[in-house]
Amino acid sequence: MKLFYLVKKELIEIVRQKELLVLMFIGPVIQIIILGYVISTDIRHVPVGIVNLAKGQVAGQIIQRVRQTPLFHVHVLSDRSEDYLYLLKKGEVKTVLIFRDALDEKRSVLKYPEVQILMDGMDSNTSMIAAGYFNGIIKNYILNDMEKLGQGLPLGGQAVFRFNPQLRSINYMGPGIVGFLLTIITMFLTSASMVREKEQQTLDTLLISPLSTLEIYIGKALPAALIGLADMVIGLVVVVLWFGIPFRGNLFYLFLASLVYLAAILSYALLISVLSATTQQAMFFAWFSLMIFLLMSGFFTPVDNIPPLLRVLADINPLRYLIQIIREIFLKGNGIEFFWKDLLKLSAIALTLLSVSLLNFKRFISK
Amino acid sequence: MGRIKAIIVKEFFHIMRDPRSLTMVFFIPLVMIFILGYSVSYDLNRIDAAVIDLSQSRLSKQLVQAFAANRIFVIRTRGSNEQGTLSLAAAEKMLRQQKIKEIIVIPADLSRCLAEKRQCSIGLIIDGSDVNIANLVYQYDERIILEFIAAMKGVGQLLKINTKIFFNPEARSQFFFIPGLVAVILLMISAMLTSLSVAKERETGSIALLFISPLKSPEIIIGKTIPYIIVSLLDGVVILLFARFWFGIPLRGSLAVLLVFALLYIVSGLALGILISASAPTQRTAMLATLLITMLPSFLLSGFIFPLDSLSPVLRAISYVIPATYFLRIIRGVILKGAELKHFFFEGGMLIALSLVLLAAATRKFNQQRKAAQ
Repeated sequence: MKLFYLVKKELIEIVRQKELLVLMFIGPVIQIIILGYVISTDIRHVPVGIVNLAKGQVAGQIIQRVRQTPLFHVHVLSDRSEDYLYLLKKGEVKTVLIFRDALDEKRSVLKYPEVQILMDGMDSNTSMIAAGYFNGIIKNYILNDMEKLGQGLPLGGQAVFRFNPQLRSINYMGPGIVGFLLTIITMFLTSASMVREKEQQTLDTLLISPLSTLEIYIGKALPAALIGLADMVIGLVVVVLWFGIPFRGNLFYLFLASLVYLAAILSYALLISVLSATTQQAMFFAWFSLMIFLLMSGFFTPVDNIPPLLRVLADINPLRYLIQIIREIFLKGNGIEFFWKDLLKLSAIALTLLSVSLLNFKRFISK
Repeated sequence: MGRIKAIIVKEFFHIMRDPRSLTMVFFIPLVMIFILGYSVSYDLNRIDAAVIDLSQSRLSKQLVQAFAANRIFVIRTRGSNEQGTLSLAAAEKMLRQQKIKEIIVIPADLSRCLAEKRQCSIGLIIDGSDVNIANLVYQYDERIILEFIAAMKGVGQLLKINTKIFFNPEARSQFFFIPGLVAVILLMISAMLTSLSVAKERETGSIALLFISPLKSPEIIIGKTIPYIIVSLLDGVVILLFARFWFGIPLRGSLAVLLVFALLYIVSGLALGILISASAPTQRTAMLATLLITMLPSFLLSGFIFPLDSLSPVLRAISYVIPATYFLRIIRGVILKGAELKHFFFEGGMLIALSLVLLAAATRKFNQQRKAAQ
């Protein structure tokens, strides 16, 4: 019952501020929606320049196809060989396609023009994808052409995409946002909480109250957990209803994983709170952790790419497991038999963080 | 001018009084760049694939060889526990467990089909969860199959495609990512530095002293910003040196040009921080606001991770008010392409304009509160 009053006080402190409420509940919705649109826009309108030095019709027909795909935006089209490197340097085009008549007729039996692709390697990701699509366009052209001549290619690949048949990026990224939201809100509400009491000199009042250390600890964590969960539900609703991401799994496991994760992240945030001397320090700590958690979680880029030595950091990153589990539940409808190991690891991390954090908290209080 | 100096000196005392924060300001970005510079990469280095060869013919074995010969493919033909060949069900389970990224199914009638000159196809079951990876895997498959046909028919190549990559010949995503990370970190650090300055005075009550001082509001706001310009700029230099010498990110343009723009950029970040600080009632709110306002937009709408060309017009419009958008273009241009001052008049102008608007808004906000308090 004593605990209830502390939780109530903490909640009042949050609800009292209009600005904070807006940040906590409206902010995330706007963020999800923007994030959703940004990641669901597949790469397109890549500005390209085309130089056509070939004489045959084939080059012209391929260029026509390049113009028709939304992936490319043909910025310059010319039939003179000029200094296209300059355009590339200025950043006006990301890729330059150069068509030439094939010199070596023996090598290309079908007399297609030679193609040279000059790519801006700066954004290697976009350039690679653009080059891949371009190769696809050419290949399709050749296929059609050969079919017309009655020779069709003898062998082709027939692809089926599992779990995300239409290859929508949002289906993959969207569920991850929920985990991210859970992190950002709880981390920032909690990581400054004890510092705040210190800075405002209300810590003594708290300490002489009949509350036990454990009760203070829980009282600080619980309000943030409640708000975090509320945000998560909002996030789920937006992700499912607004973006139409199919939810294939079991809601119970999703919440179970989230609760374990909350225990981990709140313990961590409270640890920051007792270790920092000023709000500014807490902010830097929280920011640093959030960046590392987020960018090493597999949210944006695959965890597989992390080199072995740093993999250890990814292995103890709680957000990584949460995002992994959420994705499996959402996209694949996997049951616990698939992710029990991840859940176990997450629980181990949560337990470790909780004990370290509680120990430090006790030491902090007894001082 | 002398009055502004007083504020500047006072702020410097504040900075010096919390040496731990100052250390963090210089230390955290380096650790962050170190860890993330190695860890964040979009490159696809390996494709685990299971092959189910229903044909078991000489031709099909050659095809499997063709896949295995490609360095990126790691081919599995057997299940983990079971002896003998892999069943489709077992492979599907591996796909679900993320042990493999795709299943290649070679049809039983491959040889006969090719002999009869019918069109035959190879089944590719690809994990579509991560769209980028799925697309890349599919492109690799297609290329290998095409090369296989060309080799089978004795044609060298159907078509000669010659690809050259400029500015970043090895297409290392590090060269793209690290300059971007430097930009995002600089903005966040500078915004965070000032974001608590007014809010803290409000929380401790010392803001009343500022209110009744003879200083004009613009003087207070500017005085509070200047000391942090020095701190952030120093920080920026340290971060750039680290990226240059540890990661070997080339600097093809002039350092002076980069620093001039870095200065403008930092001021815009500090101005954003001070506006947040003047608006937020408590430090906690200021902290949450700074992170929400700087983090995701600079991540998503600046071209840091997702290319701006693809964004819808509404989102592109938002990207124009995000300082990171401009500095990203500048830092990548100067570092990787050796771009010069004259290429970035628009970007520089926008950074100045943004800073002025933000500073004016902060002054107005502060002035309103001052009037209300009196």
